[in-house]
Amino acid sequence: MKLEQQIPRNALVWIVLALFLLVAPHVQRVPIWVVLVFVAAAGWRIMVYRGVWSFPRWPVKLGLILAAFAGILFSFRTIVGLEPTVALLLTAFALKLLELSERKDAYVLLFLGYFVILTVFLFSQDILVVLLCLSNTVVVTAALVALHRPGEDRFTFRPLRLSTVMLAQSIPLMLVLFFLFPRIGPLWTVPIKSQAARTGMSDFMKPGDVSRLSRSGDVAFRVQFEGDVPAQDQLYWRGIVMSRLRGGAWSSLSHFAAPPDERKPVEPELVGDSLRYSIIMEPTQQHWVYSLRYGRSNDSGIVNAADYRLFRMTEIEDDYFYEVQTWPDAQLEPTLSEWRREVELRLPGDNNPRMRALAREMASASGGSREIVDQALALFANEPFGYTLSPPLLPEQDSIDAFLFGTRSGFCEHYASAFVHLMRAAGVPARVVAGYQGGEINPVNGTVIVHQFDAHAWAEVWHEGEGWVRVDPTAAVSPERIELGLEEALSGEGSFLADSPLSPLRFRGVNWVNQLRLRYDAITYRWQSWVTGFDSDRQYQLLSNWFGEFSAQKFALVLLGAGVLVFAPVVITLMLQRKTVQQREMDRLYLKFCERLARMGVERGAGEGPDQYARRASAQLPRLAEQIGEVNRVYQALAYAPAAQEARGLQQLASAIKRVN
Amino acid sequence: MAGAAGTGSNPDIRARLRQRFREWINRRIPPSRSVVLDQKRLFIFPSGVGFFFGLCLLVMLLAAINFQNNLSYGLTFLLATLFVLAVLHTFANLSGLEIQAIRARPAFPGQQTEFELRVSRTKKREYFGVFFRFEQGSSARLNLVDEDSGSIHLMAPVEKRGWHHPGRLRIESTYPLGLVRCWTWIDLDLHALVYPRPLPSAELPGLAKDQPDGAAMPVAGSDDFFGFRDYREGDSLRQIHWKGLARGGKVQTKQYTAYADRSVWLDWEMFPGLGTEQRLSHLCYWALEFDRQGQEYGLRLPDLNIAPDVGERHRERILQALALYGIEGGPS
Repeated sequence: MKLEQQIPRNALVWIVLALFLLVAPHVQRVPIWVVLVFVAAAGWRIMVYRGVWSFPRWPVKLGLILAAFAGILFSFRTIVGLEPTVALLLTAFALKLLELSERKDAYVLLFLGYFVILTVFLFSQDILVVLLCLSNTVVVTAALVALHRPGEDRFTFRPLRLSTVMLAQSIPLMLVLFFLFPRIGPLWTVPIKSQAARTGMSDFMKPGDVSRLSRSGDVAFRVQFEGDVPAQDQLYWRGIVMSRLRGGAWSSLSHFAAPPDERKPVEPELVGDSLRYSIIMEPTQQHWVYSLRYGRSNDSGIVNAADYRLFRMTEIEDDYFYEVQTWPDAQLEPTLSEWRREVELRLPGDNNPRMRALAREMASASGGSREIVDQALALFANEPFGYTLSPPLLPEQDSIDAFLFGTRSGFCEHYASAFVHLMRAAGVPARVVAGYQGGEINPVNGTVIVHQFDAHAWAEVWHEGEGWVRVDPTAAVSPERIELGLEEALSGEGSFLADSPLSPLRFRGVNWVNQLRLRYDAITYRWQSWVTGFDSDRQYQLLSNWFGEFSAQKFALVLLGAGVLVFAPVVITLMLQRKTVQQREMDRLYLKFCERLARMGVERGAGEGPDQYARRASAQLPRLAEQIGEVNRVYQALAYAPAAQEARGLQQLASAIKRVN
Repeated sequence: MAGAAGTGSNPDIRARLRQRFREWINRRIPPSRSVVLDQKRLFIFPSGVGFFFGLCLLVMLLAAINFQNNLSYGLTFLLATLFVLAVLHTFANLSGLEIQAIRARPAFPGQQTEFELRVSRTKKREYFGVFFRFEQGSSARLNLVDEDSGSIHLMAPVEKRGWHHPGRLRIESTYPLGLVRCWTWIDLDLHALVYPRPLPSAELPGLAKDQPDGAAMPVAGSDDFFGFRDYREGDSLRQIHWKGLARGGKVQTKQYTAYADRSVWLDWEMFPGLGTEQRLSHLCYWALEFDRQGQEYGLRLPDLNIAPDVGERHRERILQALALYGIEGGPS
């Protein structure tokens, strides 16, 4: 093996250390056997190092690779998708350790390590995860540094210092690049997170879907209003509008289910005051985004559907920052097209006969759609309907009848669904809307935090000349749900956050825990708005704030200036390092001698060796030739003298120099 | 060159280019016994590993673009900046090193000569993994962590009698990350002496004696103190008369005697009819032979006489005379 190719022992330790730290953030995502492969590979490599075992030969390696593929296939049932790919990458990463014998193997391993860090970000961009990944980057770099420190045979933390310093020096320019690098769309489609749970609302609603969300304390999105936050009972965050009923489940109409001339929303007249706010959504793997009633967004990629919900062309896989403007008083579709009316009245089959009979009764007894709505709400308010997270199960057949005339206890989705059933049966166009209601105001930064347990379902009813109006049947049953939030509404039940016993939200009564939670949430909000949710719109905003009108020359100048600013301190510290104070005594004497000769007119050229100089000086100063030669001889002899005789030699040199005059 | 055929001119062009490069580098980094590395002498360029790393960064950037993932962008830019910074750090790992030529050990053809260099730092900084290599020969590496200087020993094979110049010394380092290579070629003006190849002859024709056996001769043994003489270049420091020097006297060397029993003259004319190299080879062989036996021997060459003597220094004088017979130039 060539001298340059050896791996110092210290580097080997660092590499194994890096390996285990890198797999740590992925542990929850990969099958447990992948972790075992890591342990086994490290153990094997250590045995090789101790000379007990040998490196695997190629048939063994081939077997291991095939086994890895088979294992991934067995665990995930597929090779396609992000998780299997990452698991495969991690397995390859561990197996590469069994080939680690030369420096070039170590390069492959460590660069792969950087890539493994990158894959963590595809799953989570949480601050704590990022800090962990940053420290992992430091460790991988330290392993790289250790690799180039030949002769370090004992484990030492010294490489860590340089890697930390270098990465710290890299951060300023990294930030410049981060904010200036143009954000372009994906070049080709990438495997999506097949296994990642779609969080939040799904695009169809069966009874029980929303109540399941209510058990989670995760954050759905955070909102920053320009100006005051509206009252709690105004905070109806529309997500999905469901007009289609099939087999007892509500779902939204797809874009292409509508005839071409019905795919665009009818633009409402913009009246009254508007609200402006920005939202950062947690990733949902879904298309829709949330806003208050009649919201519009100028962000690229956000479209208003025909039923006035906002959706994005691409799935939301990362924290997503967008800005919305809302007109709460705008009238939506005061006139209804034939097709739309037919869709919003459709109630297929002839199930739930008692409900249908009740609806017909209401319709015949009242003068119009408003009265029908009032009657239905009065029914919910006056009859002993109960609001609960754990309602009794309903039969498959005629479930609405069973709910309205039997169990009479349910969660918001039961009420919304039953209410829309009633309306449609009574001939009033109506639909279910799912989203979130309310939110917690964070006093630290004034954002509204909307949690998963704020998930809610309500109804929209169409009145002639007035358009779509929001009706929330749950408010008729349990007004606390709207005014005080879910926790208060369910205070008697103890079912709030049943799935997250340790959520800090459960300890809101403990002041300091709550303070800590809110502060951390404020940091998260800032992190999301500046880092993880940063996109081309945000970038354009930032650049125009800083540098005014945007131009290519300006851009290049900014980049160049930033580069110079960032590197100047590094260059200065490296170039202007202190000369070693400890000049050797003999060199000091010799330089004195050179000065003497220089005064006599023979300057020593840069890079001129002592012999050459002595010859030249002797030629130019013949009367001193002998003394000059002597100084040179003693000086040269002294350079190789054993240390014990140095003191004498120095005296000798000093006296020889004295004679040069 | 004009009108040369394409294939024929190719080596010519290459040779000319090499010549031009040699001239350029000699102008830029002239030969010198002691060199301090600075930006004028150091070259820097991404290494093969660096290009591979660049490719990895490109893949990471593609992942960041396709997944629209901001933190992946961040990591990619962090590592890209690290790459650029590595240029400065790698440069710093050679800049400020002083390399001094110390000596080259004489050798016989077919053997290895050993060059000794001293490397010291002029800046308070740790140096790691600095590699030294002559164009042909072994390589060596050096770390300067706790000490300010270290010595480097490099072996190189030699073939021809005379002065052997090992070519330029390549010094390189890829510390700290291996992404960037910083290197220089310096000419330390070091020449190794190559003796003639010893060639045995059946017997030594016509031994000539000119000294009675057993006369006391001042030789540089170290048995008995004999007297002082003026310091001559090459005298051992151990034999310098320090006390006298301390009293302000001249630099003198103490002389010791050993007793040689008889002396022999090795003569150029002993091998009539042979070529120069062969004669030198035979003379070399016999010089070594007498030295082994501890006999006094002298040397007569057409342009040089060395009186009979014995001992290591004497042997070296004789061998040097043989090695440099008829050779022009070389270092002083």
